[in-house]
Amino acid sequence: MSKIQTKSTRVAFAEALSEVGRSNSKVVTIAADSQSRHGEFVREFPERSFNVGIAEQTMIGVASGFALSGYIPVVTSYANFLAFRAIEQIRVDVATESLNVKMVGTDTGFSSQWLGFTHLALEDMAAISALPNIVIIDPADAVEAFEATKAIFDYDGPVYMRIRGRKEEPILPIKSRKFEIGKAQVLKPGKDILIIACGSSVYDSLQAAEILKDKNIDAMVVNMATIRPIDEKALSDLIPSFTKVITVECHNIRGGLGSTIAEFISERGINTQLLRMGVKERFGMAGSDEMLKQAFSLDGPGIARSAEKFLNEKCGR
Amino acid sequence: MNIDSVKLKSLEKLAEQIRKDSIWMSTRAGTGHLGPALSISDIIAVLYGEIMKYNPKNPSWPDRDRFILSKGHGCLALYSALAQCGYFDRALLKEFCNRLDTMLPGHPERKLPGVEANTGSLGHGIAIGMGMAMAGKLANKDYRVFVITGDGELQEGSNWEAAMAAAHHKLDNLVVIVDRNKLQLGDFTENISQLEPLAKKWDSFGWAVKVIDGHNIKEITDVLSSIPLTRGKPSAIIASTIKSKGLKFAENKVEWHYKVLTEQQYKEIKDELSLEELAYE
Repeated sequence: MSKIQTKSTRVAFAEALSEVGRSNSKVVTIAADSQSRHGEFVREFPERSFNVGIAEQTMIGVASGFALSGYIPVVTSYANFLAFRAIEQIRVDVATESLNVKMVGTDTGFSSQWLGFTHLALEDMAAISALPNIVIIDPADAVEAFEATKAIFDYDGPVYMRIRGRKEEPILPIKSRKFEIGKAQVLKPGKDILIIACGSSVYDSLQAAEILKDKNIDAMVVNMATIRPIDEKALSDLIPSFTKVITVECHNIRGGLGSTIAEFISERGINTQLLRMGVKERFGMAGSDEMLKQAFSLDGPGIARSAEKFLNEKCGR
Repeated sequence: MNIDSVKLKSLEKLAEQIRKDSIWMSTRAGTGHLGPALSISDIIAVLYGEIMKYNPKNPSWPDRDRFILSKGHGCLALYSALAQCGYFDRALLKEFCNRLDTMLPGHPERKLPGVEANTGSLGHGIAIGMGMAMAGKLANKDYRVFVITGDGELQEGSNWEAAMAAAHHKLDNLVVIVDRNKLQLGDFTENISQLEPLAKKWDSFGWAVKVIDGHNIKEITDVLSSIPLTRGKPSAIIASTIKSKGLKFAENKVEWHYKVLTEQQYKEIKDELSLEELAYE
């Protein structure tokens, strides 16, 4: 990849939020002392910007009250405090009724960096995906975060979108940036191994594919930005052509992308072997984004190493 | 406000019917939280019989007052009130915990006309009501939001988050009525995790507070007719009540939190309370 532009997904989300706020007067933001994530929306629409204090459970309850009154509330918080602290409110108040609440967990994966395991959100999708009715989106870069933010307001129902921190991230060199909920996108064709990724792992998977190319391994890379509903059509079109499939996510391998693909493969009886890359049976730890990705072998070289080893492994069937 | 004796009589009758229906439904079903329904029957009767504006033919009328039973387990009383007010046919009361996926489960759900929020998990109602109250102000509507919480329920921390924020947002269209029957599932509240001084707690959180007799229809009507108690503040009404009120042998007894009459007990009090036939079919 040549010259790369960068932008933060949090900034992109805030920009899209303002845009949506201008065209839809029903959109309100409810913060739990998290208004910094709402950017210009707060200054442009102070009457539609609310802050309940550091009280995530109340934030969800209040959002439900707004949704039940015909508004479209968006709530934000560090993903762990949204998806865990308020999970019971999300379950009872939002999910059972499929209320039109847009929940945005920020600083996910390794992007809260030095804040340590309390803030590193590596199980948020697992918590949310245990509940019926909620769409789950993990955008790959700032452009996708922007497009996805606009798209979730065109959808009537609860959405959990996980974005990352303030840090500028590479913008993927992709031409078509149309975002559709539930649609996978093949970013790089390939025939030897299939890498399915979400969130910031999409960029790292593309890097891994470059490294693998030098070793004459032709990897296909797919961006699976929507984890639920999973793009079953894309999966049934793509997976049967591969004997080895890898999922990559900045999340625990349970309850996120890897689990979803594992369920799909086994329930469809597809004859392929799966390697789930992510965090296994442990919490995060303090470190820079780069350090952590390296430590968990989730950077480009780490993914490439695992892919090569996996490809050379004899399948145990 | 002075309510005339005719109105007073009709509210007392409504409350009495709520009690009779609650006893009838729970005995038929062999399950239900009877004590917690009987303690709020008078309050519910005043809300639905006098205070709130609503239209049972159009349950989602945007200008209606909202009611949230945060202590969802008290739903027997709510079901009876909604039936009596015309939200649905009284015959539906037979369905209480009596059919798979019933419209009248052990905690209220929005699929039943008139139910504004799914409750049953304690500590949710105030925040949801707060959102509705904020939405009302944003939309320039003058509806009020009434929330009944249990007293034991106030041990859930989420209530106090919401209480703090609601006062901060000056939600004088939000009213919390605490059913202070002094009992929770396991014991008296004060033996488990002390709530007193409860009025001071609400006051210190920035609410306008009034302590009333939760079984005195006139007193309930008077206080609910003067909402907001203070302009710019949410109102907290601590209603002193008796758990299982109206069922003498069960009054103020902890075990009647989640207990119902046997058929034999029902027969014994049937005439005294002029209850309906259980009429199983």
